[in-house]
Formats: sequence, C-alpha cells, structure tokens
Amino acid sequence: MKVFEFMTTRLESVDSRKSVYDAVEKMVDRRIRSLLVRFPGDDLQDGVITARDIVYKVLAQGKDPQAVQVSEIASRPISCVSKDLPLREAAQLMEEDGVARLFACDGNRIVGVLSMMDAMAAMLILRARGEHVS
Amino acid sequence: MFLKKLIGHEDREKEVIRDMDSHLRLLQDGCKAFHEAIERNDHARMRRVKELEREADTIRRDIVSHIYEGAFLPYLRPELSKFVELVDQVFDLLEYASACYLEIRFPDSLRSEAARVAFLNQEMCGMLRLTLQATTAGEDLREKRLAIRIYEKRIDDLKFGLMHDAKAIPVEDFWEGKTLSDFLSRLSSVSDVIEDASDHLGIISSIIK
Amino acid sequence: MWKILSGAFLGWSLGANDSANIFGTGVATGTVNYRTAVWLTAAFLMAGALLEGPKCMEVLNDLSSLLPLHAFFCALAAALTMTAMTALAVPASSSHAVVGAIVGVGLVSGSADLSPLIKIVTCWVLTPICGLVFGYLLLRALTFLFNRTHMSLTRRNRIYFLGILIAGCYGAYTLGSNNVANVTGVYVGSGLLTPRSASLIGGLAIALGVLTFSRRVMMTVGRGIAPLDPFTAFVTVLAGALSLHLFTQVGIPVSSSQAIVGAVVGVGLVGDVRTVSPRILVKIGLGWIVTPVSAGLLAWLFVVFLSGPWWFS
Repeated sequence: MKVFEFMTTRLESVDSRKSVYDAVEKMVDRRIRSLLVRFPGDDLQDGVITARDIVYKVLAQGKDPQAVQVSEIASRPISCVSKDLPLREAAQLMEEDGVARLFACDGNRIVGVLSMMDAMAAMLILRARGEHVS
Repeated sequence: MFLKKLIGHEDREKEVIRDMDSHLRLLQDGCKAFHEAIERNDHARMRRVKELEREADTIRRDIVSHIYEGAFLPYLRPELSKFVELVDQVFDLLEYASACYLEIRFPDSLRSEAARVAFLNQEMCGMLRLTLQATTAGEDLREKRLAIRIYEKRIDDLKFGLMHDAKAIPVEDFWEGKTLSDFLSRLSSVSDVIEDASDHLGIISSIIK
Repeated sequence: MWKILSGAFLGWSLGANDSANIFGTGVATGTVNYRTAVWLTAAFLMAGALLEGPKCMEVLNDLSSLLPLHAFFCALAAALTMTAMTALAVPASSSHAVVGAIVGVGLVSGSADLSPLIKIVTCWVLTPICGLVFGYLLLRALTFLFNRTHMSLTRRNRIYFLGILIAGCYGAYTLGSNNVANVTGVYVGSGLLTPRSASLIGGLAIALGVLTFSRRVMMTVGRGIAPLDPFTAFVTVLAGALSLHLFTQVGIPVSSSQAIVGAVVGVGLVGDVRTVSPRILVKIGLGWIVTPVSAGLLAWLFVVFLSGPWWFS
C-alpha cells in the first residue's frame, strides 16, 4: 500500500499572516488537529501548525492567540514525501522524525497529507486483508 | 430427499456459498468499472455496470431459490437471504448512479473526489468479500469489520466535501442538476449499505455460535 | 383381554402428548419434516420399549398387587386424569398418574405397600434437577468443544442437523424405555401380560399416538418454553433423554416433560438467562402432588363403585 491510497487530499490551510486565533477557529470548526500554513512562493515554502504548537507555545504561555501570528509558531519546512512511498516506510519516517503527519508531494505541489490516524487505518486494513506489515 | 440430506456431502450448502462469493465478485467488478469510468470519463465502461448488474440479479435469484429449496437449517435461511438482498441493493445504487452519470456532462471539478469515493467503494467491496469468506469459514470477523467501518468513515468525510464542491457548480438546467444530485447521493449511499451488509455478516456469525 | 384397552388409550395419549418434547422444536422450526419425525420417534420408541421397557415395571408391581380388573381401573383413571389435566392446560405426567392410581387401588384392596413410594417420589423430584445438571454441563462442554476449532458454516450446519436428529432418536428411545411401564406395567403385575408382551403392546400404543395425533402439540411452540436455536434445542433434548435413561436404569418411571423443563433451565443458566418463570415451577410442584392424588382418587372411586357384583370381573 502506498501513501496516496490513504492520504487525505482535501487540505485545510491558513495564511501565514493570519492570527493564531483564526487558525484555532478553523481547527475547531473542521474538527482537525493541524493546518497547512501558506507562505508566499510555491508549496514547498509552506509550513504546518498543530494543536500542540498552539497549546504549548501560545495558550499555556498565557499569550493572546489573537495577537500572535501563525508564521511565528508554524514549523517549516514541511516534511515532504513522494505520494508513491510505501506505507511502511512512511510510518517509519514519522517515527524517526517524531512527526504526526507527512505531506505527500508531486514535484513542488502538495497533493495530500497522511496523518497518524490515516497510517493506523491503512495498517488495520492491511491486517484485515492478511497482508501484515511486520 | 431426507436420506440425501443425511448422507449427502453438504453439496447444496457449498453451492450457495460459491454463488454468494460470485455475487460479491461481480459487485467488486461493478465497482471497479464504475471507478475507472469516472476517472477516465469512459462511457462504455460505465455501461458495463448495468450488464454486470443483470448478471448479478440472475445469481441472486439462484441463491435465494437454492436456499429455500432446503440448503442450511431454517433459522439461517432468512439471514443469508437478507445478506444477498443487501448486496443486491448496493448493485441497484451503483446501477442507478451509472445511469445518472451517462445522462449528464459530469463536471470535471468533482471528478477526482468522486473517483476517490468510487475507488474506496471498490476497496470496501473487496473487504466485504473477505468478510464473507471468513464468515463461511467460521473465523473471527472483528478485524475485517473494523476495516469496513474505517472505509465507511473515510467516505463519509469525502462525502461532505463533494456536496460542498457541488454547490459551486452552476446549474442551468433543472434536470441536469437533479441528475447530478441523484448521482452524488447514490454514490454516497453505496458505502452505507456495504457497511450494513458487513454488520449482517456479524449477526450471522453470532447466531451460528 | 379387553381390560388392556384402557392401557392402550393411556399409551396413545402419551404418544400424542409427549412426542412433542422430542422433535417439537425440530418440526416447528422446519428443520425436520413432520413425517420423518413421527416415524423416527415411533421406531426408536418401540426399540426402547422392547429393549429396556420391563426395567421400570417391577417397581409398579411392588407398590401393590392388582387384580386384572383393578389394573384396568388404574390405567383408566390415569388416562382420564391425564386428559382432564391436558384440557385444563396443566402439564401432567403419566408416571405420576399411574403411581397415584395404583396406590389408590391398593389402599382400597388393602394390598398397598407404600415403602417404594419414598424411592419413587425422590426420583420424581430429582428428575428436573437431573435435567438441569445435564443441560448445564452438556451445553458448557459442547460449546467449549465446538468453539475450539474453526468450523465452517456448512460443517456447523450439518452438525446441528445431525445433533437434532440423534438427540431426537435417543429421546424417543428413552421415552419408550422409561414410560412404557406406565402404560402396560399394571397388567404384568396382575398377570394379564408378560413383561415382553406388555412392552410390545404398550410400545405400539404409544407409537400409534405419535403417528396419529401428535401434530397439533408438536406445532404449538407455546408450551411455556421459549423456542430455542438448533444448538440449544438438541442439547436440551439430549439432556432430557440422558436423565430419563438414568432413571430407567434405576427402575423408576419419571416424567419426560419435567426432565426437559429442567434441561431448558440448565441450558438457560449457562447464559444467565431465566428461561422459566416461577409459574412453571409451581406447575411442576403441583404435578408432583395433584396428578397422583387425582388419579388415586379416581381409581379408588372406580374400585369402590364399579367392581360390585353387578359389574362383571
């Protein structure tokens, strides 16, 4: 199984100049844990902001999310992998880099995101098919 | 007749199971044709769906009549028939959706998402077939049923995206719009019925224990 | 010789009523067809009666020595009590009725020996308990056995089918072996029949009842017992049959229905399900008392009022 089979193709994003509060609103409404942060230039310039970043770097510090720009706390650059990367390798990469999501790229275009949940779901399906990823 | 049942080698039951597997194989082929047709905008491929549905209908009738001619104990018969009916329902949805597709000019902006849903439907069918095989073998169904639920939830997420994108499509003709809407709603329902069928296999598995 | 007619009548009604315990669920659910069920029941019943029927006849003779006419009255009283109880929808056992009738007659004629009664009543009480124990243990054991291996759907289906069949045949056999004594045992004590011929005639009478009149009772699922799935159904019949067979070896005729009810409760206990209401337990208790007492009273009345000089012996 390859990354492209289980990635999410619908990417939610927020502009880098928006406030953290805008990002929070989007995350709550869409019930997601992370957002792609759009920086000027091609997709490979983009970053990612996660709920973790928001809690650790803003809310727990007592800072005002409306006063902090997304670009200040976003992680850049994003980890990009080929959309044809085998799933097992993608999972190993997530573990090595300590990230909870990988962005699938086709050239310098982001085509999808594979989250931890996506990877888990994919592996459960492989198990059910009897093709265990050992 | 009674002696045959006593000494016979479970022939009738085995035939029913073979036919049920063929029925699902046809469904898988139907979903595959459907997916490829959307992806490549191939009308000939889309028409194949209807042919497969007709073949499946014949098999379904055979299965039900063999069941009620005396295969399996009476308490199992309605459950097996119900499963076959659910698979038939999926085929009906697929067939209707294919007819809708052929009637309209399918908007390209929806193509990749729709193809993705169709692809996942195809995968789901494959998993349903594995689940049926496990049920008839007397194996545990837990992992396979979870896999089907995973697929269903993924399709659910995509569904709303599709609906959202569809709203952006300008509709000049009422029937064009309605047919597109019918297509999308059938496409989305396929996974729901496959999930129902998988739940029903869970029921069959527990009543035989 | 006409005196054995009352016994034949008793046997016939026993066959019509009790055979539902054997293939009732099988027929009602369509697993076994009615004709096959009744012929199998009749055949195995005869086998049971012929092979082990005499074992339970001795205790009946120990209760009281009977004149041929009294034997007739006993069987008649038992048969009429059974019919009346059935009409009142109270389950009645032929074993209870016959013993009651014999004691009733014995008390009048003064030849009653009540010492076997202790053993007899103990066995009556033990019957449902035995059914319960066997039902519980069998279900536990078989479930464990079946779930250890992955059995395909077809294999499991076949096993359940064979189980219902085998349990039914065994059930018929044990019914014949245990209850034929109720039907014609009284005639052995009074010298009208040998144990052999009593088994034969009694067995035939019961078989006839099964073949001619059991359909209605078999089709009525409502006997106070919930319809079971094939697996628990065959375990129940098997447990009941085992109990009955056990008491045949002990030599006491007992109630097949009570054995089955016990088995149903035992089977239900495995799943923590209450399959039997307190009402049924009361009916069972009543059966131990009301049936023999009514039959005894009736038999006593027959002897007192109908064996005078104006009624030939």
